[in-house]
Amino acid sequence: MTSETSTAADQTMIEFKDVHKYYGDYHALRGITATIKAGEFFSLLGPSGCGKTTLLRTIAGFEGISSGVVMIDGKDMANVPANVRPTNMVFQSYAIFPHLTVEQNVGFGLRKDPRSAAEKAKAVAEALEMVGLKGYGARAAHALSGGQRQRVALARALILKPKVLLLDEPLSALDKKMREQMQMELIKLQRQVGITFILVTHDQEEALVMSDRIAVMFEGEIVQLADPETLYRRPNSRKVADFIGTMNFLPADILSEVEGKVEVEAKGFGRLTLDAEQVSVAPGSSGASIGFRPETLTILFDGQTATDRESKAEVVEVVYYGDMTYYDIKLEGTTEPMRLSMRNVFGRPVLDIGTQTRVAWSPGALVLFR
Amino acid sequence: MQSKPKVRFRGSEAANGLLMISPTAIYAILLLAAPLGMILVYSFMTDGYLQIIPKFQLCNYFGECHSYKDVNGVLTESQTYKGVWSDPLALTLMWRSLMISMVVTAVTVLLAFPVAYYVSFYVAPSKKSLWLFLITIPFWTSYLIRVFLWKVILGTGGPINFGLLEIGLIQEPITWLLYNVNSVVITLAHAYAPFAILPIFVSLEKIDRSFLEAGRDLGESPFMTFWRVTLPLAMPGVISSVLIVFIPTIGDYVTPSLVGGPEGKMVANLVELNYKKLDNYPLGSALAVSSMALVMAVSLLFLFLNRRFLRGNKR
Repeated sequence: MTSETSTAADQTMIEFKDVHKYYGDYHALRGITATIKAGEFFSLLGPSGCGKTTLLRTIAGFEGISSGVVMIDGKDMANVPANVRPTNMVFQSYAIFPHLTVEQNVGFGLRKDPRSAAEKAKAVAEALEMVGLKGYGARAAHALSGGQRQRVALARALILKPKVLLLDEPLSALDKKMREQMQMELIKLQRQVGITFILVTHDQEEALVMSDRIAVMFEGEIVQLADPETLYRRPNSRKVADFIGTMNFLPADILSEVEGKVEVEAKGFGRLTLDAEQVSVAPGSSGASIGFRPETLTILFDGQTATDRESKAEVVEVVYYGDMTYYDIKLEGTTEPMRLSMRNVFGRPVLDIGTQTRVAWSPGALVLFR
Repeated sequence: MQSKPKVRFRGSEAANGLLMISPTAIYAILLLAAPLGMILVYSFMTDGYLQIIPKFQLCNYFGECHSYKDVNGVLTESQTYKGVWSDPLALTLMWRSLMISMVVTAVTVLLAFPVAYYVSFYVAPSKKSLWLFLITIPFWTSYLIRVFLWKVILGTGGPINFGLLEIGLIQEPITWLLYNVNSVVITLAHAYAPFAILPIFVSLEKIDRSFLEAGRDLGESPFMTFWRVTLPLAMPGVISSVLIVFIPTIGDYVTPSLVGGPEGKMVANLVELNYKKLDNYPLGSALAVSSMALVMAVSLLFLFLNRRFLRGNKR
């Protein structure tokens, strides 16, 4: 998802410098410093109340900041009102004007455009075609479905050719199928127009699927800013690990630390050595633990042998999903069940609860939190 | 549903429904429909002194009518009068009533909009109900008292004249404030202000604030956002306000008779004159029905506009 599209212009589009925002006593943004590159699909991910929408609204100009600097395309946005900023927004509620038709909505921002009425009408028709609503122009806004409203909102924003498109949880009101379809369409659209997209979402899967880079926010701060793969494989804190996907935590003892390499011992895994990059240094967790994703452990069936390490385990719960089976297993010598996922392939049995089995794993796939 | 071939009315769903609405229906028929029907019937009857002769005629509306008097048991013609739409006086008063209520409506709604806008957009949500409560304070006193207060305020010895005399802007009291159309407009506009504020407030409250942000986001200034987004979306409330003020003011009778003076009289005063002093029920009824028709025509126009706004510009 990265390389080709963003290499064209690797310059900075948006820059936050120590941005703070207070609502009375409430400290909504606590020193945000980050840069968003031109042409990037960037996501602000976090639970509700983490400040992600507030941060988005400071870009749009709907929310002033208490201190710090917000720059768009090299210009300081202090005292620049929303209507002259080079950004456009797709609102969570879509904000499709109910008193206007679809084409009047899409053409709303073209009033001051010097082009002729005929050229504007052509631009509106093209924008509608781009979002797959060709021929819907004369419809009344209130006669549209949720997905159609969203497309109208997209067309209305993109027709103005903004430098940055802001999307405030645009998919949260859609059903699952529609949401997945729109995710793909948004990715395609972003590649097609090359505009910087900034998406606010609380759905980690959505962020992973769509983004070039993701900023994970908790309580008004960006706790990790990375590409989806890094975020998933090397979360820098237990909190991020917990928020993105499923992460198992196994208590561990640190035995020694030599030149960044950490030797740990954990029940069920035994002794192992982890590289410096596998160690999360973020403070806040109580005691060290080894984290691993469900798919990093593989159940070994009769005759299979591990390529790296293996441990004994007992199946304590089975959840069958069709394409996948999720097992809760207890590693030998441990009490907490760990989640493990196996892709179902033809001829492979689904294990019963209570089965004694072996699991294969590799130290490279583990993360140490301390 | 039922195995019986015949569906009996008693106990059926329709009967239950009628039973349930019957108190309301009886109330509406007795107190609203019946009096209106009576007025309508009266307007086609013939005037006899101290009685109404059940003889159908159209002359109460158009042309010339005769009044009859009972002289020793024989009905004899006593005098002639002109029907509503042929009588210059009635036409003048209806025209004036229409004008006055239109001016009152315009003044009231134009002044009410900023108040409603302020309460909806600038007052903290927790204080909004307090503000609405304060707006209704004028209703705590009787309307009659409020009219008399305006009489005092606008009179030659009232605070306005006193103040203007004191600061030397005028040399003698101004008299064009009271006992004419001006005082009627001022008094009515004040009286109906809360009625105009509330519907506009409600329609402004219903506007999703993200519409206004969208307007700004799409490049419009605060004023143009108001013009292109807020105002059109508030239009149903504005039109409700117009109707709520316009309908009762056109038939208002207390205000013109107390502060209107001779040149501020309205059609309701003529209705009263015919019903009471002249004892001409048919003409009074025809006047009432005619002004109702006027109200209906204007209201239908506004309702039509309202529906257009509610629908959006659907093609």
